[in-house]
Amino acid sequence: MAYHSFLLEPISCHSWNKDRTQIALCPNNHEVHIYKKDGSNWNKIHVLKEHNGQVTGIDWAPESNRIVTCGTDRNAYVWTLKGDVWKPTLVILRINRAARCVTWSPKENKFAVGSGSRLISVCYFEQENDWWVCKHIKKPIRSTILCLDWHPNNVLLAAGSCDFKCRIFSAYIKEVEEKPAPTAWGSKMPFGEVMFESTGTSGWVHGVCFSDSGNRVAWASHDSTVAVAEGGKTAVCTSLSSETLPLLCVTFITENSLVAAGHDCYPVLFVYDSNNAALSFGGKLDVPKQSAQKGLTARERFQNLDKKASVDSKEAVLESVHKNSISQISILNGGKAKCAKFCTTGMDGGMAIWDVKTLESAMKDLKIV
Amino acid sequence: MMAALHIALRNPPINSKNPAIKERAQNVVLKVLTSFRGSDIEPAVKSLDKNGVDLLMKYIYKGFERPVENSSAILLQWHEKAFAIGGLGSIVRVLTARKTV
Repeated sequence: MAYHSFLLEPISCHSWNKDRTQIALCPNNHEVHIYKKDGSNWNKIHVLKEHNGQVTGIDWAPESNRIVTCGTDRNAYVWTLKGDVWKPTLVILRINRAARCVTWSPKENKFAVGSGSRLISVCYFEQENDWWVCKHIKKPIRSTILCLDWHPNNVLLAAGSCDFKCRIFSAYIKEVEEKPAPTAWGSKMPFGEVMFESTGTSGWVHGVCFSDSGNRVAWASHDSTVAVAEGGKTAVCTSLSSETLPLLCVTFITENSLVAAGHDCYPVLFVYDSNNAALSFGGKLDVPKQSAQKGLTARERFQNLDKKASVDSKEAVLESVHKNSISQISILNGGKAKCAKFCTTGMDGGMAIWDVKTLESAMKDLKIV
Repeated sequence: MMAALHIALRNPPINSKNPAIKERAQNVVLKVLTSFRGSDIEPAVKSLDKNGVDLLMKYIYKGFERPVENSSAILLQWHEKAFAIGGLGSIVRVLTARKTV
């Protein structure tokens, strides 16, 4: 478990390269900084300046080594490394509100951008014109798209939106791929078709994630719930209301376990039992610091009682590793099937790397199925 | 008393758009809540399930909106016990719910 504090400002978004030696992040301004790991230090090696607005999404394609960034200036850029310099290519998204999130598809021939214009732009490269072209998914989205995740078949796209729904769309582009095989979510997948729409949870959907097989999708909603839907003839949705503050990001670490993190500043484990269609709380994944227990003097105790009407000696100090909300979680190695390490970044400008094995041994009742 | 609480919390007027119905339901629940003894509040909250605690929180906050004589003090006691069980999540669900009680 390693924690590194990059900046004092929040980290808006981050993405790792293929061998996890470099991280691209946005320090809450118009730039993207790329840091390289050097022993135990992180050195800033590149600064990508092209956006005119805050960069809201970064994704680094592992195989083709391209970075796509999107920002509040309604643009997206695809960066390619030429020699030692990253060169941007503008992508016209045809949106009139800020872009909020971007992800490469698994085969890296397309990427999807979610925006405040109530649509998803699916962009692919057109060889003849040497230009990125985009197609829009508009219906039936009623509000900003906050988060996106691709299905492993490169066609289905899960989108979480501010209209309180998580939907799975088909983003099949016939110019770049063949017809996809039937999946648990349906077999007819024309572009823009809604394969699944969630019901039951209210609150903005902050984070969405497909499982490794693509048969399950999980989302975290602003009403402090986490829900999992399993595809099939009729999709089965299960949700769990938690006693904590809302969660902002969620990811599968095995087919049955999810890790989510949010405004409570520590990651939490959830376990999904498909036989009973039940989602349960697995445990709080934080390594507690051994805080020195100071005894309270009688005077302090009386002051506490007078000012706060409390007899507790708990100070208002967060005991978690992150000191502010965690906004993004990414898998470092093991993939979504057997994750061994994951990374969280947050509004405190810090990045923590969590090792699943050490967490399992540290928390006694933790079981990652 | 516990039975009265369970009955009062049954069938909340969540889907109704009629303010009179909601007003009546709120008054009934408030009457039940204020007639509890202080020591009975905790076991009563413990007897509710998760959805029950969320629903109770909704009524408590609705009760805060229109304070009547001593109601706020009693409601604060209920709030403390319901918070111990429901946590911050139940309060967030009161704030984000689109259909109010």
